[in-house]
Amino acid sequence: MKRTTLWSATTLAIPLLAVSGLSTAAEFDGVTLDAKLIGGQQYEALYARIGDWESETGAKVNVISKKNHFELDKEFKSDLAAGSLGWCVGSNHSSFASQYPSLYADLTPYLTPEFMAEYVDSNIAASKIGDKLVMLPRAQFDVSALYYQKSLYEDAEKQAAFKKEYGYELTPPDTWQQVSDQAVFFSDPPNFYGTQFAGKDEAIVGRFYEMVVAEGGQLFNDDWSPAFNSEAGIRALDWFVNIYQQGAAPKGTTSYLWDELGQGFASGTIALNLDWPGWAGFFNDPESSKIAGNVGVVVQPQGSAGIRTGWSGHHGFSVTESCENKEAAASLVSFLTNEESQTLESATGPLPTRKAVWEHVVAEAEGDAYRTEVLQAFQAAAEHAFPAPKTPYWIEATNVIYPELQAAILGDRTSAEALEVAAEAVDEMMRENGEY
Amino acid sequence: MDINQQHRLKKYGLKAAHLITLFVAMSIICLPGLWIVLNSFRPTVEIMAKPPIWIPEKLSFDHYRAMFGGVGEGGVPVVRYFMNSLIISVTSTIIAILIGIAGGYAFARYRFRGKSAIFVGFMVTRAVPGVALSLPLFIVFAKVGIIDTHFGLILAYVAMNVPFSIWLIDGFFRQVPRELAEAAEIDGCTRWQAFWKVEFPVAKAGIASAAIFAFLTSWNEYALASQLTRSVFSKTMPVGLLDFTSEFTINWGGMCALAVLMIIPALILTFIVQKHLISGLTFGGIKG
Amino acid sequence: MTRLFRRLPPWLALLLPAIVILLVVVLVPLLLSLYSSFTPYRLTRPESLYKWIGEYNYVKVATDANFWMAFGRTVFLLTVALNLEMLLGLGLALLVNKVTWGQRGLRTIMMFPMMFSPILVGFQFKFIFNDNVGLVNNALQSLGITDQAIAWLVDGKLAMFSIIFAEVWMSTSVFAILILAGLFAIPRDPLEAAKVDGCTPWQSFRHISLPFLMPFIYIAMAIRSLDVARAYDIVQIMTNGGPARRTELLWTLIGRTGYVDAKMGLANAMGYISIFLAIFFTVYFFRKLNASRTALGYNA
Repeated sequence: MKRTTLWSATTLAIPLLAVSGLSTAAEFDGVTLDAKLIGGQQYEALYARIGDWESETGAKVNVISKKNHFELDKEFKSDLAAGSLGWCVGSNHSSFASQYPSLYADLTPYLTPEFMAEYVDSNIAASKIGDKLVMLPRAQFDVSALYYQKSLYEDAEKQAAFKKEYGYELTPPDTWQQVSDQAVFFSDPPNFYGTQFAGKDEAIVGRFYEMVVAEGGQLFNDDWSPAFNSEAGIRALDWFVNIYQQGAAPKGTTSYLWDELGQGFASGTIALNLDWPGWAGFFNDPESSKIAGNVGVVVQPQGSAGIRTGWSGHHGFSVTESCENKEAAASLVSFLTNEESQTLESATGPLPTRKAVWEHVVAEAEGDAYRTEVLQAFQAAAEHAFPAPKTPYWIEATNVIYPELQAAILGDRTSAEALEVAAEAVDEMMRENGEY
Repeated sequence: MDINQQHRLKKYGLKAAHLITLFVAMSIICLPGLWIVLNSFRPTVEIMAKPPIWIPEKLSFDHYRAMFGGVGEGGVPVVRYFMNSLIISVTSTIIAILIGIAGGYAFARYRFRGKSAIFVGFMVTRAVPGVALSLPLFIVFAKVGIIDTHFGLILAYVAMNVPFSIWLIDGFFRQVPRELAEAAEIDGCTRWQAFWKVEFPVAKAGIASAAIFAFLTSWNEYALASQLTRSVFSKTMPVGLLDFTSEFTINWGGMCALAVLMIIPALILTFIVQKHLISGLTFGGIKG
Repeated sequence: MTRLFRRLPPWLALLLPAIVILLVVVLVPLLLSLYSSFTPYRLTRPESLYKWIGEYNYVKVATDANFWMAFGRTVFLLTVALNLEMLLGLGLALLVNKVTWGQRGLRTIMMFPMMFSPILVGFQFKFIFNDNVGLVNNALQSLGITDQAIAWLVDGKLAMFSIIFAEVWMSTSVFAILILAGLFAIPRDPLEAAKVDGCTPWQSFRHISLPFLMPFIYIAMAIRSLDVARAYDIVQIMTNGGPARRTELLWTLIGRTGYVDAKMGLANAMGYISIFLAIFFTVYFFRKLNASRTALGYNA
């Protein structure tokens, strides 16, 4: 019995090898890799391909943990603490990767420069800690563009009223000032709101961070001391405060995370929504959304410094430093992010991180007006993308900053006071961590 | 109006007030739960609709079908989670009860120094918040190599349930007069036989109530399970609920469907044993 | 081994399994975390476990205003929630006790919330109290009671209220079932006698039933104070301590510091302070329990 399965596996593998030409037959016979992968519907389709890699290389993959992103992060930290690092391959995320600098190995020695050149350069850059390439990006690239309800902009009455009040045409916004004007203009609480934003945890700090950049400032100085307690920082925070205090966002927005935001926009009660590419299909699907057919997407607006927001991140796979068979692990990781894998994964909507696959999805979307609009907007969005600050203390810093941002938004403190307090706390934290 | 009539009116009024209050109270208890059951049959657009849809337009088994479906179509290894939960909860309950019987008997029947200190010491172990205990426990378990096993979680749950079981069962043994057991021993029974024939039957109800509390605690526990389990081979249903959340989304309808599967067995069990539960607690309370 | 076991006094032999398992699962980990609270232990840097920094973490915690506010809020939540649960549980038990028909079904319904995993309760009430599409606001708006979107999870007072509501919803059953058990155990004779003597229902409740129920109430209090930290799951899902720390409790603070910030040494220092709080509540209710039993003459 065993022999026959083996035999059929090799026959299957031969034609596959002829196509990919990457590895020799049964290269990793008898190797078993333990993997910890991110679970969840949009990530799972790819894992069906693990079987192909197994039959191609003769290795075996054991998925020893499958959890959502935040639970996985907790698990990695516990593993580091307990030294239970017997596994080889782990899901990773560019915003979280720098927290565990010692956990993952540099992948550069296992890859050819030609192979690496096939990925989008900025994604590869965001996958590095220093010079160390700690992960290979999968087709799960995230940068936000601005979704809006089309019908609001086609209404002649609204156009006239808006022009009279604000002195310029009502078109999908290109600056954050315009977003603010239009959001206030459209709002009719409690039934309809101009916009909304993620209001807690890392999410609001990420939104604040990109706004600081768009206002011409930065979150940290080069030595990782806080730099957001500045004119630009106050302008950035004031944008959120202003939206909230004028009732242009739901009152609960400081308790919202991505799910509430996506559901809220899909419920048709929000005019403008800065959101991730993963929602594009959801918003335009009558099964899940009230505004299907009425959704437009444009590139994300710019701040007063003429810079567009563009906080971004991507998922990927990493190989642990303690892995006994790094060649095999690296082979699996590159297989899961190769052209075929990314083509499969991006077919359902997520953005790829390989040049050829980008071309492929754009060509594929031809004839589908909505999909083309989405891809164009996000392609433009990707050009302005920048990753989260690469310090091991990013997440810790967000936990110090976000309660203060919330305090300003809710009116407990002024923006200047809130940033003052947050900057002091971050400064103390960085000192304590020995950054300077 | 004569006094009788007034009296009767007052009686009816009181009765109506009682029924209305009871109805309102039961509604508040049931509604949030029934809302979950209802949501498990509705598409997400309807649950999150604004303006709200009060009378469901579409009811379907879609969430259940998806949950039992394949990987990538929203499938979740429900059967595995259910079995893990069942094995872990039942085994840990049985062990906790056995240890509880031994411990309860010791507290009820023997005098020794530091008895009440030991007793309170036991109880205090239960007061340690799971979130404070989970990491050190994880490190210890990882060193021993029992992470991601049924055994590890069973061990943790036994420890969690032992103090309360001892406490309840102790109360029951105390209400059996010492003379009764002694009489049995004089009649030629061994202490062991006396225990089985005289004391155990009386304590049965108390054991049942301790068991249901222990079972429900293990069945619903999350903080420790999320730390001590990793893969489908040991994840329990409360941890499985989180499979419906990902970085950006929560599949609320799907989560409700799994929740219903969690609630039903617990509900059936409770319905069956609740008679024992009440009489069990009755005696456990006054004697202790 | 067996001979050693035989030589033990029987009470110790009987208690041994319990002692062993509690030592292994609770005490050893707690000693480990006690030690780590004197180190700058960071999960992502395991070697930091071997650096001794004395009472640094404790000083840091003790001088942190945010920690003490969370401490105060936790005590507030415990006090309000436990008392509310007790009163509501008492009311519920009295209501159910009066019913003569279908009581078995009613009792099961009464215990319905006990079937819900705390983490599920968190998700459930997060959706129910959502300000935009949540059940409560939808109902209030449909009934014309308000035309506002009430921000249940954001407003300074309402956020705490929502959490207490969820916690009370989940745990009142425990009180109700224990008090109901107490009502069943009340001897009939004194009540009959009181009626003959012309006592009002309130008087006989106050002077006969209530003292009899007190042990049950304290048992419930003690049980609940033992595992009230289960509310962590609820709070973490509903608000995670936010917004602007308005609902920050010790447990959310510890969870975030320990797991998200990975600063386990500091988190364990906070943990120890919160364990003392739990011990205080537990011992307090045990004392009360014993006193009320003695008053009834049940303590041997």
